[in-house]
Amino acid sequence: MQQLVEQLNAQIPLEGYLTVAAIMFAIGAWGALIRRNAVVVFMCVELMINAVNLTLVAFADFLPGAGGAGAGYTVLIIAIAAAEVAVGLAIVLAIFRTRRTVNIDEVDSLRG
Amino acid sequence: MTVAFAFLTGMTLVSALGVVLSRSVVHSALFMSGAFLGVAGFFVMLNVPVLAAFQVLIYVGAVTVVILFGIMFTQRPQVRRFRTIINRQIWPGFFAAAGVGAFLCYILATEGWGETGPGNGARSVAVLGRSLLGVDEGLEIFSLLFEAASVLLLVALVAAIAISRRKEGAGGEEAGR
Repeated sequence: MQQLVEQLNAQIPLEGYLTVAAIMFAIGAWGALIRRNAVVVFMCVELMINAVNLTLVAFADFLPGAGGAGAGYTVLIIAIAAAEVAVGLAIVLAIFRTRRTVNIDEVDSLRG
Repeated sequence: MTVAFAFLTGMTLVSALGVVLSRSVVHSALFMSGAFLGVAGFFVMLNVPVLAAFQVLIYVGAVTVVILFGIMFTQRPQVRRFRTIINRQIWPGFFAAAGVGAFLCYILATEGWGETGPGNGARSVAVLGRSLLGVDEGLEIFSLLFEAASVLLLVALVAAIAISRRKEGAGGEEAGR
């Protein structure tokens, strides 16, 4: 019983967080590769960005030599991702206005 | 710790899979906010509650709402058949993503990170704010990055308005809807 409580209170090692982040990144990459809807592709890119944020924060908390720099980088990444969502959705809206579709298979006018 | 970690892992990964596999776009957006909430929980576990607050405010609040607006403008909410939401690369895409994920897991789990222990990061708002403004020793680069990010946000705001604005004399396309 004592052992079980100790096990439940144990610290999670760094590799646990890194593995979760890697799996989350892979899921986001899968979605960005297979989905047709441009808005859903954006969501999957956001998932990948979040996975990278999680990795950075885990490193910032666990590595003594990092000096907590990862948390600062994460703030900047969140700001840049917000800008990316705003511009990206504006582009999707502009495409929808001219082509009547957000299906990225059909938006191929730049194809040679 | 273990229980919280298992719960957050399940929440994050199941929600991430829900984003990819859900047939309704609105459900995808809601699953996405669930995954963001899971990541916010991880930030709390990693002793950076400030970032968890940022995550909830910016991602769960703002980004989800913006994406829901994008969905509202571009399509009627409807459940589509599974074949129509996925292009033909489902299995090649799966193997590519699984390969990337397995490679990352292998590298990150087997690399020797040296002495690691929790609690090295910036715990309080004050410490994080000082390091963001480049006051701390060794982190002076952040003063430049902070300025660049603020300029980038301004440029992106103007760009989003300029791109999505309705052009003069192009108001007729509403009739085709």
